[in-house]
Amino acid sequence: MDIRLGNADLARYPFLNEAAEYMSQTYFNLDDLNLPELQHIVERASNRIRNEIIHGKPDYALERHEVEILTFLVGILIIKAINSDNLTKKHSLCEALRAEKFLVQDLKTQGELANKKLLVFKVFKELLKMDVLPSLKYQLMFEVKVTDYLKRSHLFHEQEWKLINRLVHDGRVFLDPDETVRLIRSELANLLFERIRQMNPSHIPTTIREHANILRSILPVAPRRLDNAPSAFPPCINHALDQMAAGENLPHSARVMLATYMLAIGKNIEEIVSLFENAPDYNERISRYQVEHLAGERGSHVRYLVPSCAKLRNDGLCFATSQCEGLINPVQFGRAAKSYSKKASVG
Amino acid sequence: MILTKTGEDLHLLKIAFREFYFNQGNMVEEPPKIRNREFGLMGFDGVMKRHLTFSSLGGLIASLIFETPSDVFASNAQYDFPTLPISEKGWRGAELIFDIDLKDLDMKCIRSHSYARCLSCSSSYVSGSQESCPKCGSNNIAESMLPCDRCVNGLKNEVLKLHRFLTSDIGISPEMIGTYFSGNNGFHVHVQDESFNDLDSRARADLAAYILGVGISADAIGVTKDIRNDFRIRFPIGGLDHGWRKRLSDRLGISVSSQKRLSNLIKDLGGLEQFRKRVAEITRDMGVRIDSQVTTDVHRVFRLPGTLNGKSGLTKILCTDLNSFDPFDESCQLSNREVTVRVTIPKLKLRLKGERFNLNEEYVRVPMFLAVYLISKGLAHAVRLDPGTGRFIVPASTP
Repeated sequence: MDIRLGNADLARYPFLNEAAEYMSQTYFNLDDLNLPELQHIVERASNRIRNEIIHGKPDYALERHEVEILTFLVGILIIKAINSDNLTKKHSLCEALRAEKFLVQDLKTQGELANKKLLVFKVFKELLKMDVLPSLKYQLMFEVKVTDYLKRSHLFHEQEWKLINRLVHDGRVFLDPDETVRLIRSELANLLFERIRQMNPSHIPTTIREHANILRSILPVAPRRLDNAPSAFPPCINHALDQMAAGENLPHSARVMLATYMLAIGKNIEEIVSLFENAPDYNERISRYQVEHLAGERGSHVRYLVPSCAKLRNDGLCFATSQCEGLINPVQFGRAAKSYSKKASVG
Repeated sequence: MILTKTGEDLHLLKIAFREFYFNQGNMVEEPPKIRNREFGLMGFDGVMKRHLTFSSLGGLIASLIFETPSDVFASNAQYDFPTLPISEKGWRGAELIFDIDLKDLDMKCIRSHSYARCLSCSSSYVSGSQESCPKCGSNNIAESMLPCDRCVNGLKNEVLKLHRFLTSDIGISPEMIGTYFSGNNGFHVHVQDESFNDLDSRARADLAAYILGVGISADAIGVTKDIRNDFRIRFPIGGLDHGWRKRLSDRLGISVSSQKRLSNLIKDLGGLEQFRKRVAEITRDMGVRIDSQVTTDVHRVFRLPGTLNGKSGLTKILCTDLNSFDPFDESCQLSNREVTVRVTIPKLKLRLKGERFNLNEEYVRVPMFLAVYLISKGLAHAVRLDPGTGRFIVPASTP
């Protein structure tokens, strides 16, 4: 099925090849970005990245396609000029979240606008090599192949994503629009990350360089680590901290593990919130609320316990070493290590 | 514990296995893309040589005749460089394989046909509750089992259950499913649909959990926690028509139109937590008893179809019709030529290759296929007549 994209579609999905084709047809030159009439685009892209750095949230505003495609391109150029892997990951995730919102909207459209779904199927097929079909049996449900589902669902640690908790029939998994798009979020972010990483512009225009320098100055200096030596933490916690330091987008369950563990060993809210600064979707207000909630200072006022080793194993968050032998909860790790070193020093 | 063979036992087993590969080498199945497979050959000493390759089936069979291994394995994975260490092999996908083993079926009859052999005093006895040798008290025991017809039927039921999951839920065409008797106490189900080959361990673990019936959440059928009323029921959009949702709702006797009934059921059970436990019990009971570690491991070597199983002397063989398949007949491929063995267990009854045998602790002439079966299970020893004296030469390791 050959689906022609309208220009308005390119505004929502500026990462598609058609957007690049559109740009090549306009005889656009990188140095055009130094022109005063394009400064509002450069400003727009720069503000979008500033928002991502400070609030960890994407900008969902949608302008006409010329503006969106150029904003997307300028954004990438700024990211290339800043040259930070963590920021590239953050930007890729924000662009993926932005696309996710439009994909869900398009999947939910019905009636005359329903052909928008075809566009979404094209995005899935061409970008992610994944067939998504509207279910003939269930309205507003979509079918993906079991194999396509399994390749992606293991990235989620929540029980609801386990195949057994899904409606499965004849090699197909049935998903609603939100779930269908959620399934590919991190893949889309990785794809965008790789595209940005491999992009090699001939040069960076002066105006882009200037904006990049300003934005670089507001980047978090370095990933925060707590005072403890890494070896004092159990391997599951170290792994999560390493991922966080690398700017990876930790799943919710890993963040709960990290926060509850830090609370259990006596770290204060400030220290724990600052741990998440490097997360691609970091938002200080939300992080603080969630950590306070886990600490029992908000909501139900129940202090959450550190998930057990069995739960972490089940969630794919366990990276046990020989030092973990006999432990049933990560909080025992420090105590076990202490008692071991005490015994060793006595012996 | 692997029973390593020595002396006359080893001599006889090697002759039987070599004869098989020499005369019936055509039974050995060539795995697709043989050059990209890692092979493993296990010796009768229990030592496995891994990271081997063969460029053709002929080369493999020649090696089997020459080396006469007790067991032959090939990777389900294809590699760029099969001989290198795992991390350098260059993984290029692996067939999806399921293993159903008798040990996972909790068959009640198993104890009655399990045998123990004391490795200290070499006495054999029917395994009871005792963990040490009744003769010398040693704990150095090797156990073996002769599956009965009931065991085989139990295994077949599990395989059929697995087939239903694979075809109706996972959508695999029946022609793409190869079912093999392992040659001892189980079945291997090979999925030949290549679209499953690139699933990694984690994806396979999720699929294995689906088939085992592990990890179900009551939310899947619309029963969720509610702070005020303990639970709340809102049936999922897709209803309860298929897969586990259907299995569960059928077992619970509910449908999307019987919300009240489900609500009463939860209350009768004692609330949401009890209901969750009940749901988990049902799915574990209805799931297939596969060995999930086997399915999840993408670097494993599996017994090659058409080769002999060193634990029995039976062949791993394709079952074209599972219902009529008789492992004690069709997979028994060794010769009928008679040899002498000394049976070490009293009152042993078994059926093999269409014949019934009643054996006792005695020196007896039996067909080669039976001799190998008993020796492999540790229930007999090979003996040879001394041409000079006309007496039996009893292996030094036996009293």
